Amino acid sequence: MEVFSKTTALALIFGCASLPPMAAQAEMADPNATVEYSGELSILTKFGMQRLQPYFIEMAKKYEALHPDVSISLIQEDDDSVKGKTKTLVASNSLPDIFFSWTGTWGGNFVRGDRAVDLSPVIGPDTDWGKTFAPAAVSAFMYNDKYYGIPLYLDAKFMGYSKPIFDELGIDVPKSHAELIEACKTIDAAGYLPVSFGNKEPWAGLHYLGQLLAYNVPQTVLEADYDPATATFDDPGYVAALNQFREFQDACTIGADVNAISYKTAIQQFSDGVSAMYYQEIIEFDSSAKPTTKLTPDDFGFFVLPPAEDAAGDHMALEGAPEGYMISSASENIPLAIDFMKFVTKPENARILSAPPFGQPPAVQGGADSENMNPSVVEGLDDIAEASYLIQWLDTVNHPRVASEWLSSFQAFVGGTKSAEDVVADVRTTAHSIRN
Amino acid sequence: MAWLNVHETSGASYAGSTPYSRYKHLAAMMLEWRWVLPAFIIVGWFVYYPIIENFRVSTTMQDIFTGEVENVGLENYTRLFSDKVVWSALRNNLLYAIISIVFQVFGAFIVAAIIEDLSSRKMRNFWRAVYFVPSAISTTVTGLLFYFIYQPDIGLLEEVMKILGLGAYAKAWLGDEDTAIYAIIGMSQWQGFGYSALLFTIAIQKIPKELYDAARMDGAGALRQLWSITLPMTREMTGMMIIVTITGAFQVFNEIMVMTGGGPNNSSQVLGTWLYEMGFTQNDMGYAAAIGSLIFVVTTMCGLAQLWYTKRKRVNT
Repeated sequence: MEVFSKTTALALIFGCASLPPMAAQAEMADPNATVEYSGELSILTKFGMQRLQPYFIEMAKKYEALHPDVSISLIQEDDDSVKGKTKTLVASNSLPDIFFSWTGTWGGNFVRGDRAVDLSPVIGPDTDWGKTFAPAAVSAFMYNDKYYGIPLYLDAKFMGYSKPIFDELGIDVPKSHAELIEACKTIDAAGYLPVSFGNKEPWAGLHYLGQLLAYNVPQTVLEADYDPATATFDDPGYVAALNQFREFQDACTIGADVNAISYKTAIQQFSDGVSAMYYQEIIEFDSSAKPTTKLTPDDFGFFVLPPAEDAAGDHMALEGAPEGYMISSASENIPLAIDFMKFVTKPENARILSAPPFGQPPAVQGGADSENMNPSVVEGLDDIAEASYLIQWLDTVNHPRVASEWLSSFQAFVGGTKSAEDVVADVRTTAHSIRN
Repeated sequence: MAWLNVHETSGASYAGSTPYSRYKHLAAMMLEWRWVLPAFIIVGWFVYYPIIENFRVSTTMQDIFTGEVENVGLENYTRLFSDKVVWSALRNNLLYAIISIVFQVFGAFIVAAIIEDLSSRKMRNFWRAVYFVPSAISTTVTGLLFYFIYQPDIGLLEEVMKILGLGAYAKAWLGDEDTAIYAIIGMSQWQGFGYSALLFTIAIQKIPKELYDAARMDGAGALRQLWSITLPMTREMTGMMIIVTITGAFQVFNEIMVMTGGGPNNSSQVLGTWLYEMGFTQNDMGYAAAIGSLIFVVTTMCGLAQLWYTKRKRVNT
């Protein structure tokens, strides 16, 4: 049995907690600062996946070629590991010069602790650099009326589907929750798995719920409930959304067993043509359907998860958010760090990011290379633009303890050991315990 | 031992108690200490200071982002008692320990005894290798391997169960709150069994053959020899294996993180993973340190109890 040794456990706590946690000092970017092109820049990215890793490596090489006295060191983590890595780096006061951040409470933590540089003078909507981005992407990183993040790409969740299976069974793209359930029944009867879904990593299931909550709970209520100080979690839309999910789970997936399936296995089932649908982020389009997989990019289609007709929330809302980077206030070379990110977000580099194999819809206006991009990603960008608002990921927008309660309770709900009412009650209790 | 002689000699001089001899004695003592001082510093700094510091951190509430630290006394320990997941994690650790003792200590002992009883040397080597191979695979790889073996519908275990006519009992072993921890413990036995068996093999090889010859002449059969010679003569190894197994069961981490991440619904959390969740996901370092203290206390108590027991029962040849 491999052990998390006692000494390691205590050393982790010791290392991260006994030395400070030191208070950071607020920093504001100076638009007139002279950039000194020398020294080392460290960057924590969320491009740890093999397919995405080369992007920042290529950017670093290009930048180093332009400025030979600059060396760039990369720490590349994936979606799961970046969370733990970031907190460990914060706790040990070792945040790199540039680091990945989600929007919402996640990014707000860095602002609250003065860990991130206030970039308003350089990336605010009226600045030259700020005007190059989609305005909504920049404002997603706004906290206390200041701008702290550099959005790199836009992300949103869509239901990907196999056109050959839909064509074979004569199924049209579902426009409502009821039509989706009917489509699943038809697909299941034909011997295909309707939707491959893995909830071993419970955030995957929470992504379904986030979209359903946007459809069933008014935006103002949701936003009040994100803050434990004002949270009530008494809107009936919460239970309605959970019950819609239950209906979906029963008709479209393998049921409670999804808790044993990893999201990576689920996406593989879709790529292999085993399942007809897979709920995925737009940034995953290029990895779920490739020329080398059974489901090719030509076979791939997508649609927004359809709402129930009687849902009381916003039917035009879409789950997603831009993702981007912040500059550490402890960085010894803030102007250089900003300059590197200006380089990365140049339209020509954004076009590289948007094209296969990366397939990340850029936050930079004019950065999408529609000729080289996956057409589905281009279409997805249109849907994002048409959305009434973007509801953020529940596990990053909520207080960490509330997010943790959502994750474990929803997994219990999927496994059939908690009712919808119990899930909402437990989340409410957790939120209230934080407030008290 | 030369250093001991010096000590004894100087001790005798010290009895004469002149100021000069007292100084000489002190100097000799300091000379002795210089050899062990580096080790004391290293062990003190890297092992004991973190343990003490952990107890201090456990009496605080810290926000890693803002750097705010608030002293909360024993509040984190009070919270431990009302945290349902802590109790469930403690139960899982205990299950891990009990099942591991059964399989990795007593099961491995019996298998080692059987292997060492084989007359063919080639067969002995072969079976030792067979049992040891899983221990040479990293826990992360083993965890992934068993994740696929346990998969519902397509997993190897379910296929085998169907062949045996037990398909009706198949389930999503890692996705069910009632079975997830047992599935992980099962994997751990598969991996750790061979290592324990190898250690017992070494202990059995050290038993003088004359004891078995004498027993055979007295008419003792294989079971009587196992019970009356092998078991008592390997008691120290058994005791050590129990300590290692119990301590290891309270420090288990990797296999949980790889196979279930503590889920579903925290049902497979153990104290180590819950500590990580609190500290590094929920940003609650003080409470995580309190969980660390709990792990420390439990493992230390188990260790001391086992040391006392094996010392009491020691058998000398």
